[in-house]
Amino acid sequence: MNLTDEQKRMYDGEYGPGMQKAISMLVEYGNVWDADRMARVNSAHVALWSEIEWLAEMLEGVEQIRVPLATVHPGNCAASRFGRAMGLREKFCQREAKALSEKLGLLVPKGFVPVLSCTPFLVGNVPTPGSVFSWGGSEGICAANSIFGARGNRDAFPAALASAITGVTPDMLLLKKQNRYGQLLVKLEDLDLERFTLADYGALGNYIGGVAKFKNVVVDGVPNTVSFDQLKHFTAPMPTSGAVAICHVVGVTPEAPTVEEALGHKKPEEAIKVGKKQFRESWESLHTATKDDVEVVFFGCPHLSINELRELARLLEGKKKADSVRLFVCTTEQIYTIAKSMGCTDIIEQAGGLMVRDSCIMLFPYPELVVPVTNAATNSAKAASYQARAGIKIQYGSTESCINAAIIGKWGG
Amino acid sequence: MILKGKTIKKGKVEGEAIVSQMPFSFLGDLDVTTGKVVGSGHDLEGESIANKIFVFLTGKGSTAAPDWAYKAKRLGNAPKGMICQEVEPTLAMVAITHDIPMVHKLDQNPLEVIKTGDYIKMDATEGIVEVIKKGES
Repeated sequence: MNLTDEQKRMYDGEYGPGMQKAISMLVEYGNVWDADRMARVNSAHVALWSEIEWLAEMLEGVEQIRVPLATVHPGNCAASRFGRAMGLREKFCQREAKALSEKLGLLVPKGFVPVLSCTPFLVGNVPTPGSVFSWGGSEGICAANSIFGARGNRDAFPAALASAITGVTPDMLLLKKQNRYGQLLVKLEDLDLERFTLADYGALGNYIGGVAKFKNVVVDGVPNTVSFDQLKHFTAPMPTSGAVAICHVVGVTPEAPTVEEALGHKKPEEAIKVGKKQFRESWESLHTATKDDVEVVFFGCPHLSINELRELARLLEGKKKADSVRLFVCTTEQIYTIAKSMGCTDIIEQAGGLMVRDSCIMLFPYPELVVPVTNAATNSAKAASYQARAGIKIQYGSTESCINAAIIGKWGG
Repeated sequence: MILKGKTIKKGKVEGEAIVSQMPFSFLGDLDVTTGKVVGSGHDLEGESIANKIFVFLTGKGSTAAPDWAYKAKRLGNAPKGMICQEVEPTLAMVAITHDIPMVHKLDQNPLEVIKTGDYIKMDATEGIVEVIKKGES
């Protein structure tokens, strides 16, 4: 690894122990893939999952972070001001809220922007094509590489923090054009994609991620009328069932005008066809519930866009959720504000929904509920997969199916 | 048997091997409070990786894996050392951030030549893995 004079000064500790630790971690990280230099990072995205002692150690002596823009991921639902309304234990909420506020108290003065969202691109951290980003948040990374054409690796949150502090990341893997071409070619067939719901796209992405593991993916057969929200739900589960960091969608995403260009004019390492059979198989693997009772219905993994919120308000207008159901609707404070100005949040709240902001619903701390639940309905393939592993039975379905379930209190499919 | 691989995180460590043929995520596949693997369909479901040399395919899933690995480590439930077939960036950061000696890209497939219960002496700094088969000493 060749460091510039300034980077050597960081490495030698001239800018304090935090900066030194951060660049040392990045050097070790780069050495794993034989990176020979550091690249300048335009955008970082970090989380608050780490313990405060570790964050404090990383930021020791750091006056201001060196990356031009760094945003912050959402925290635990219990840490937000909605924890009690969600039915979580008072003491747990207090503890989490205190920890979150201490961590933000550490980060914000150094220049981190507390958007508290897993979709930083929806709230001002928009990676430009070709620019370098260092983000945590597997689904954000996949979107930034694939949909925005920016360049970044599956940097874990600690790597993103180190990059935010130093302003650099090892120049390796997906930062280099030759490593961005597709390795797995997926041809879609016999699927009525024009009528695909968000949950359909999620189930499809879930299947593809499982096959791809950490290969770069090229998908051929998605209509170019696909919406941003559909692409978000399509790519989000790929790094859940696998470790996908880039998925080119032919005719849609910037580095995939044609199959050939997306593959770098080479033969793919692997080519598969995905049709109704694989789609159904994936759907069934996500729907793990065996009973029709609905206890929780939630939306917002990834955080809801303004259009998804408008759709929820349309489906809930004049309706009321069943008393037995808890309805959680998760987005960012910024998108909430727009939705409120349009009357959407009033409709959702009048229907009995709880508008949760700044929180991660995927990692909802079920064991901390005062009245425990065992099953939940969602349109998110990513959350379905994580929560099933945490022992929750999942009813997986379209936005409309989930809303119907919330209203009648039973799963109708 | 001696295997030679590439360093991800330096350090010397020895212990009992536990082997999985699957990718692994420290967030989702591990109960950090017990060190046991969770999730139906995982080939180590119900088994503990705590204080063992964890041998597996590669990483997957959440980029918060190092944060969860840290929780496991604080509770004494993280693996002592790790060997994988080929690392991916998030998994590399688990080892680097929390100082868990780790190697990958061995000269033989570790998922075939190492079995659960074998004893491993690993010098990750030099990339050397000594495998003492179960029952031998």
